Amino acid sequence: MQQPIRIITLLLSLFLYQSVRAQGLIDGFMKGDRKASLAVSYAQESFDTYYRGTTPFRDPNLGTVTTQSVNLYGTYGLGYDMDLIVAAPYVRTEASAGHWPKQEGFQDISAALRWEAYDYKLGKARLSWLFSVGYSIPLQNYVIDAPVAIGHGSRNLDGRTMLHFKAGAFFLTGQFGYIRRGPVALDRIVNYYDPSQANPNSGMKANVPDVTEAIVRTGFTTKHFYIDGWVQQQTPYNSGTDIGPGIPYPTNAIGFRRAGATLYIPLVKKFGLNAGYSTTLSGQNIGNATRFSGGFVIGI
Amino acid sequence: MPSTAAIVNIRMTNFFRITGLRIALSVSLLWLAGCKENVIDEGILPFTEPATVDAEGGTWRTILLPSAATITVPAPTAITSDAYQSELSSVKNGLLSVDPAQNTAVTYWALGGVLRWNQIARQLVAKYNTAPIYNDVTGQYLTTDPNAPVASLPFATRLYALLSATQYDALVVAWRAKYQYNRPSLSRQNIVARVPLADVPSYPSEDAAIAEASAQILLYFFPNEAPFIQQKANEHKQSRLWAGASVASDVKAGEALAAQVAQVALTRARSDRFALAADPANTLPALLAKAPYDTKWTSLDAPVRAPILPLAGRVKSWFDSTAVARTAPAAPPLTTTPAFQTALAEVRTLSDARTREQWRAADYWNDGLATYTIAGHWNLIAEDLIRQERQNELRTARTYALLNRALHDATTVCWQTKYTYFVPRPPQLDSQIKTSVLIPNTPAYVSEHATNSAAAATVLTYLFPGETTALTKQRDEAVLSPLYAGTQYRFSIDAGAQTGTAIGTLATTWAKADGAK
Repeated sequence: MQQPIRIITLLLSLFLYQSVRAQGLIDGFMKGDRKASLAVSYAQESFDTYYRGTTPFRDPNLGTVTTQSVNLYGTYGLGYDMDLIVAAPYVRTEASAGHWPKQEGFQDISAALRWEAYDYKLGKARLSWLFSVGYSIPLQNYVIDAPVAIGHGSRNLDGRTMLHFKAGAFFLTGQFGYIRRGPVALDRIVNYYDPSQANPNSGMKANVPDVTEAIVRTGFTTKHFYIDGWVQQQTPYNSGTDIGPGIPYPTNAIGFRRAGATLYIPLVKKFGLNAGYSTTLSGQNIGNATRFSGGFVIGI
Repeated sequence: MPSTAAIVNIRMTNFFRITGLRIALSVSLLWLAGCKENVIDEGILPFTEPATVDAEGGTWRTILLPSAATITVPAPTAITSDAYQSELSSVKNGLLSVDPAQNTAVTYWALGGVLRWNQIARQLVAKYNTAPIYNDVTGQYLTTDPNAPVASLPFATRLYALLSATQYDALVVAWRAKYQYNRPSLSRQNIVARVPLADVPSYPSEDAAIAEASAQILLYFFPNEAPFIQQKANEHKQSRLWAGASVASDVKAGEALAAQVAQVALTRARSDRFALAADPANTLPALLAKAPYDTKWTSLDAPVRAPILPLAGRVKSWFDSTAVARTAPAAPPLTTTPAFQTALAEVRTLSDARTREQWRAADYWNDGLATYTIAGHWNLIAEDLIRQERQNELRTARTYALLNRALHDATTVCWQTKYTYFVPRPPQLDSQIKTSVLIPNTPAYVSEHATNSAAAATVLTYLFPGETTALTKQRDEAVLSPLYAGTQYRFSIDAGAQTGTAIGTLATTWAKADGAK
């Protein structure tokens, strides 16, 4: 495991601050039959303020939480209308104050099938309608119930649909998805006070609230560059808890609105660099994070 | 203007030629959108008749009362009397009707009154086990009710002990009256109850006694919770009429005797020196100055928090105070000694290379803020054992009274030691030590997890000898958990385990002579 990480780190030092094209797992561009690409990106995000419920909060026992990740993102065209997408991040997160240890490791592996169901021609423009179904599972039993953690630890089923409009260099993609998050096993027995709880000895299993997600992305893509701007809104679908003492972190209702931009520049045929930036506009039980990312994409 | 016909489906996809797959995909998307979260509750519990009736229970040694005879339970009316017969027919008529809310209450309380009130107590402790939360954005603490008590470990163990002792004494009095008057149980009068019952005389109702005793004790600790507690108590008493377990006069007599026991318990509570535990006279600076230790503890919280009930070590003990005081651990090694440096280095080594399994153990036994505390955790463990053995109400109360008095006295000695030496937590001396739990805002020596867990395991092993292996395993993990978490030294754990075992032995010595077989 050490060797590939070293190689990745080496590559990253060459292409510092770069990113994958897509924010979120899926975008509206199909890969094409028997075509593949591999994107490697590094991202760094940090926050000193987080939301307890929706109230901005700064905890002097936590300071600034910084998360670095290396993301591998592969796409392969199974057919001209069907892509397989696989992603796996390696994450490290740490707090600048207090006594919580840093957490580091492989997070969740995700795989998704993207299907371009319909494709319409509107004059010179094209409109396509896509669906995708994805699944993700943790790659290891990482810590989930701590303020400094690399993930929820839940198994997720992700279904979404997209409308992708392209006219010349201009494109506009709107997508809506539902992420079903499975229950998780905590390390402890849940016994925080909840008046609706029939039994205070609920055991160690906890629900992770499902979320819905909407993303609107627009930009221009030409032979020489790709640029986009996007807004992402994640909303808890089921009722969940707010961050608080004794509350298991995975049961928190997590929502946010983020906005960002991406730039991709192909350097030579089948090789390009990209960079991204995003910021949090509002949130619920999540850090008010700013994120920079950078990476390269190799076409195969 | 392009007509609709101009919008041409330029190609039908080739990957999903089969319509069935399209439908399947659409259906799965619809299914996703309609998902509801799992409901995590206790499910349907198996109800069983208690294993024993303990007819001689009225002779068992009481804790708060000199003996069960201290409280006189008036003789019941004869079952042939009109008054009794009308009470009985009202219960019979009730059994003919079906009311879902009543059924829910009947099954809820059928688990066992003592067990349920112990659960309720734990739940309330978890609710009130808080610490001020500071928000640096506003520069202020989140507002909390200044009148609400803070249910930290000394508070919790005192509550659990007082609750269990009161329940136990009330039940010994009830058992004495049951077998003194021998009013036949309803099942012996051809009434088929809704839930399995112990075949004990019905007068006075043990459930009414438990409900009244528990409610009065919990109200003393949580006056803000009066509506919740009273509602639970009323429901508990009524549920026994709905279940076909008692008649109204049984309930009334149970209530009356428990109210008298509760008065004795509350008189003890008002004079047990707990009122001084929060150090109202501010003697802590003087205590700190004269502490026989080289480096003194400070709070590691930002902003710094006042310690939790620093004088709780002076609260009146349940077992013989001289014997309890004798269990206090010896002085800890000074920070300059090799013994201390080795212990600190061990914490650092564990913190640097903490395994996932060590993290799990530390988290499992953390029982920190907003939980029922480590003492509550052992009450939960006892609950499982009690249910396995199908202990009746009296025996359950005895188990808890032994366990919780031991936990209380172990915590008392622990607190006394903490605020004698003021030993720093490991991260205070080595900032590179990272903890997998919030650092408890108390001095390190002596470990509260070790004192409590060793005391609890000693008592429970005596009461449930068949579970010795499992209990020893739990105890060993519990005492080591703060070392894995990075909040304790091994010498503090070893000393705590020794003290806890000694306190546990005081409880088992009591248990051997209390008349219960």
